[in-house]
Amino acid sequence: MPAVSVRNLRKTFQTKRKAAGLRGALAALFRPAFQTLDAVRGISFDMEEGELLGFIGPNGAGKSTTIKILTGILHPTSGEASVLGRVPWRQRQELAFQIGSVFGQRPQLWYHLPAIDTFYLFGKIYELDEADLRRRIALLAEAFEIEQLLETPVRKLSLGQRMRCEVAASLLHKPRILLLDEPSIGLDVVAKQRLRATIQRMNEIEGVGVLLTSHDAGDIEALCKRVIIINDGEIVYRDKVSTLRRRYLTVKHVDVRYNEQLSPDFSLPGVEMLKVGRFGAKMRFDARVTPVEPVIGALAAAGGLADVTVSEPTLEEVIGAIYARAEAENE
Amino acid sequence: MIRHLPFLLALWKANLISAMEYRVSFLTQMVGMMLNNAFYFVFWIIFFDRFEQVQGWNLLDMFFLFGVVATGFGAGTYLFGNALRLSSLIAEGQLDYYLSLPRPVLLHALASRSNASSAGDFTYGLLSFAAAAVYSDSFSGLMLLRFLLASLAAVAVLISFLVLVQSLTFWIGNAPMLTQNAFNAIITFSLYPITLFDGTAKLLLFTLVPAAFIGALPAEFVRQFDLGQLAQICGGSAIFLSLAVFVFHRGLRRYESGNAIQVRT
Repeated sequence: MPAVSVRNLRKTFQTKRKAAGLRGALAALFRPAFQTLDAVRGISFDMEEGELLGFIGPNGAGKSTTIKILTGILHPTSGEASVLGRVPWRQRQELAFQIGSVFGQRPQLWYHLPAIDTFYLFGKIYELDEADLRRRIALLAEAFEIEQLLETPVRKLSLGQRMRCEVAASLLHKPRILLLDEPSIGLDVVAKQRLRATIQRMNEIEGVGVLLTSHDAGDIEALCKRVIIINDGEIVYRDKVSTLRRRYLTVKHVDVRYNEQLSPDFSLPGVEMLKVGRFGAKMRFDARVTPVEPVIGALAAAGGLADVTVSEPTLEEVIGAIYARAEAENE
Repeated sequence: MIRHLPFLLALWKANLISAMEYRVSFLTQMVGMMLNNAFYFVFWIIFFDRFEQVQGWNLLDMFFLFGVVATGFGAGTYLFGNALRLSSLIAEGQLDYYLSLPRPVLLHALASRSNASSAGDFTYGLLSFAAAAVYSDSFSGLMLLRFLLASLAAVAVLISFLVLVQSLTFWIGNAPMLTQNAFNAIITFSLYPITLFDGTAKLLLFTLVPAAFIGALPAEFVRQFDLGQLAQICGGSAIFLSLAVFVFHRGLRRYESGNAIQVRT
């Protein structure tokens, strides 16, 4: 039996529509108009116990709404969902003892208190034995490298430090599933890597399943084996991350800067030039056709390098490619 | 409820520790509120100095009334501080946090904040009751017990009323003015002698704006035991409490969450 099972889940919101300005405000006062917004449009998926499942999509795709339904925060408009054998919106409290959740935009640590105070409060909320709680805090503090941060008021922590404390707090009661909604939002590269590594370690040590939502494909690549991509409330892709990488994360973008002037007809074989300036250029290439190594070699040979950045396609570009491929296959 | 007591105590402790982070602000608000209440009461001292009674109520009754109302209001809004901002929590999607934890949402949300100035109201209420007991020369252990019960009933009805009014947010959206007006109405009417009202006005004070359950009724009960009043106090509290929990949970089905960036203070 899957740990999470979702069938034809749908959630619509009613939102008020109002034209701009005073006239619009007056019209809305006497004849309010509403529009129905389909946040989630009949999605279905399963997640196995202990699995690291990526749930990605651009802003407004329906990721957070789905997570909120799975934690029991929201009631769906229709459809079914079961988390660890429970219907989240009917057995919310019971389920909350078995799952942990972290919402990047909604801290659970008390802002003016040191994290350790919230940890002890969580101990009471989850009815943990005092001695067990102490041992658990020590274990998590070591795993997340937060021993030195626990007694500092949360308001004085950096975003990365705070997020590590947030995830540690959500693991205090040894949940079987961790629902992480944009945990890396606003974090720098180093903080992101540190957080990813610790989540992976906790999955290995305790077998906690992780459903991770992000608009950053890098989070999923680093952590998950399987990925679901959602766009506009619908699932547009589901497969192994390795397949996603092989099919869609092959195009590399390169931004290069030189210490000396480039010739205006600067070009490299197998590489599409997007923009060539006096001291630098922007380009892209398909790593399946043109391997990375010769491109970097050719860039270095072209002059004295000042800076070079290689980046992967944005999620929007990946989704665009998925749609384009689906259309091509249909034709 | 007993099962949730250790959790509630931990929550109130966290609130107190949080308030202690800003000791000066806490003490200033507390003392400020005590002075505010004292100045307001001076008005009644001057009034009763000129007119000894208002349809049977005298200054001593006002001491008892202020004792119960301030103690009930202070304890209620100190222990359940979010009762004053439940409407915003609902409208801004801030119930998410409470919904993701294994505790009753309403209880958890209400008790997650303490209002510093309420500690001033509470202290003032105790002082007012002490003054009334001494002034009336009738203090006894039973009177203290009646005061405790009356204050608890005042807390229950006040918080229930605030929850009821603000639960409308689930249907009509954020309505800060409605909340503010309802709050002002119940506090204002609870601090007047009940004998000033009769007929429809009196009926309203026991139903739509249940100020009588917070002020006059429990205050009279503290002064003198009356079985009928005890039944009214207990019945009124139970009805308003049940109604508040019912309406809040009906509304909760319509809760729409939100994505605003939030901070837990």
